[in-house]
Amino acid sequence: MVLLTLQGIGKHYRQGELEVQALDGIDLNIEEGEFAALVGPSGSGKTTLLNVIGGLDAPTAGRIQLNGTDITTLKESQLSDFRLFQLGFVFQAYNLVPVLSALENVELVMVLQDRHAKDRRERAEHYLKLVGLEKVMQRRPSALSGGQQQRVAVARALAAGPRLVLADEPTANLDSENATALLDIMHRLSHEEKTTFIFSTHDVRVMERAERIITLRDGKIVSDEGVERHQHETTV
Amino acid sequence: MIGIGDGSHNSMIRNAIKLGEGHLTVQPRGYIEAPANHKYLANGKTLQAKLDALNVAGSVEPRIALQVLASTASNSVGAGLEGLSPGGDERVETLKPQLVDGEWLEAGDERGIFDSRVDELDDYLILSDIQFARYFLIGEGADPELAPVTRFAVFLDAPDNMADWKARLESALESDDVVVLDWQEMMPQLVQFVMVDDAGNYVFLVLILIMVVFGILNTVLMSVLERTREFGLLRALGLSRRQLLLLVFCESLLLSLLAEAIGWLVGGGTHLWFSTHGIDMEALVGGGTAMMGTFMDSVIYTELSWDRVVQLTLIIFAATLSSGIYPALKAARVTPVEALRT
Repeated sequence: MVLLTLQGIGKHYRQGELEVQALDGIDLNIEEGEFAALVGPSGSGKTTLLNVIGGLDAPTAGRIQLNGTDITTLKESQLSDFRLFQLGFVFQAYNLVPVLSALENVELVMVLQDRHAKDRRERAEHYLKLVGLEKVMQRRPSALSGGQQQRVAVARALAAGPRLVLADEPTANLDSENATALLDIMHRLSHEEKTTFIFSTHDVRVMERAERIITLRDGKIVSDEGVERHQHETTV
Repeated sequence: MIGIGDGSHNSMIRNAIKLGEGHLTVQPRGYIEAPANHKYLANGKTLQAKLDALNVAGSVEPRIALQVLASTASNSVGAGLEGLSPGGDERVETLKPQLVDGEWLEAGDERGIFDSRVDELDDYLILSDIQFARYFLIGEGADPELAPVTRFAVFLDAPDNMADWKARLESALESDDVVVLDWQEMMPQLVQFVMVDDAGNYVFLVLILIMVVFGILNTVLMSVLERTREFGLLRALGLSRRQLLLLVFCESLLLSLLAEAIGWLVGGGTHLWFSTHGIDMEALVGGGTAMMGTFMDSVIYTELSWDRVVQLTLIIFAATLSSGIYPALKAARVTPVEALRT
């Protein structure tokens, strides 16, 4: 079942005198439960595409349908609600609130969702256990390693029960071991929780675990392939 | 500061009322516009009976105020002769401790010199027993049997009820050719002085408020700017602009409430201390505390009415709260994409 449909998505902006075409006529369907990677060189439009899908940035052309809702027609407040209940975000720089503990960071989105305190505490603890951080729940981000912080961010994204998790370069700041561990966790949770993941990367390790690789160049999709074929091509 | 201002003003007003003509004055119509010795209340006895019948909560003192020429062998000066009851009159009670030479006047006798600390009074005022002053009215043609006076000074136990008592006196004395004046009408210069001094205090207060507002504005604004990334994150996670605005505004509200609480504790404590222990103004200013025909007590006790406390609390609360509006609007304008880039 198709979860996300992008039709003719364009995004251009001015940079001084220069008109930059960040996205140019993107058409894309993402099935429910997919674990898809957006790849491409820097400036190819990966982050912009994720921002547009996440409603953080508005496209200048095209339509985005997520779970049956055309998010390009939503008002600001509706879009906030949509992000709150339908989407999860994992950022390259973790973006945890420094004054909150790992547990409180995971609870944060559920607080905004107005979930009952007991429910959100249970869910936060559950997801922190799933990402292997049950022993450091009370620690603040400053007392956690980069890999642990990113796992808290994954737990935060999933605990709110989103349909789609968008992760922008989630392993970019992690060493090889932590990156592999994080990807394993994301991949496992994607299947266990039946949550769709789209992440941008130019990390080969990430691409190896992706089930679908969408390659962007100059704001356009230049290839959209399954993993086996991609692996075959890179091997060859 | 306001407490000191109110305390000193009230001290001056209380002393002016005691030294002057009471909270309310009953006197001949037209006297205040053009005082003259021939303007007196010929039938003081009847008026006194009417006033007694009102059972005024306080005291009613008959007085005779005359403009006289005081002469010695070598000099003559214009003076004011005030005839009053030697026992019980508030003015007597106020000036009696200021006797510097001779003895305090007794009925039918006068033989002392007082130093009221108010030069305008000391240069002008002669006190006498009312019976003595009455001879001058008799000279103006008054009938001594009717106990003529020039005015009645009414001292109220509860000055807050002055307007009510004024209305009652006016009603009771409607048929007589008299007017009832309150102390503000009798001493307009003092009222103006208090207003001007209050205005000065308020200007100072406004300057402090401006500094406070900018201080809070700076604090909240810096706190908002420092958390731009966090706000961007919250916006990305689903917090709406309105919620973010409310969040920052609530922070300002809490800051305002905290400031109010600290202000109440510190300001209230300071006021409590000085309202019981007082401030020795003579030691501070090193001289007389007389002005505007009255004087401040040498020790000023801070005074704050509940009205004043509520007024100041609301002003400070509104000022501190309003200083959070701009930072809140600035925070609400944060766009997630730009904020997360910072």
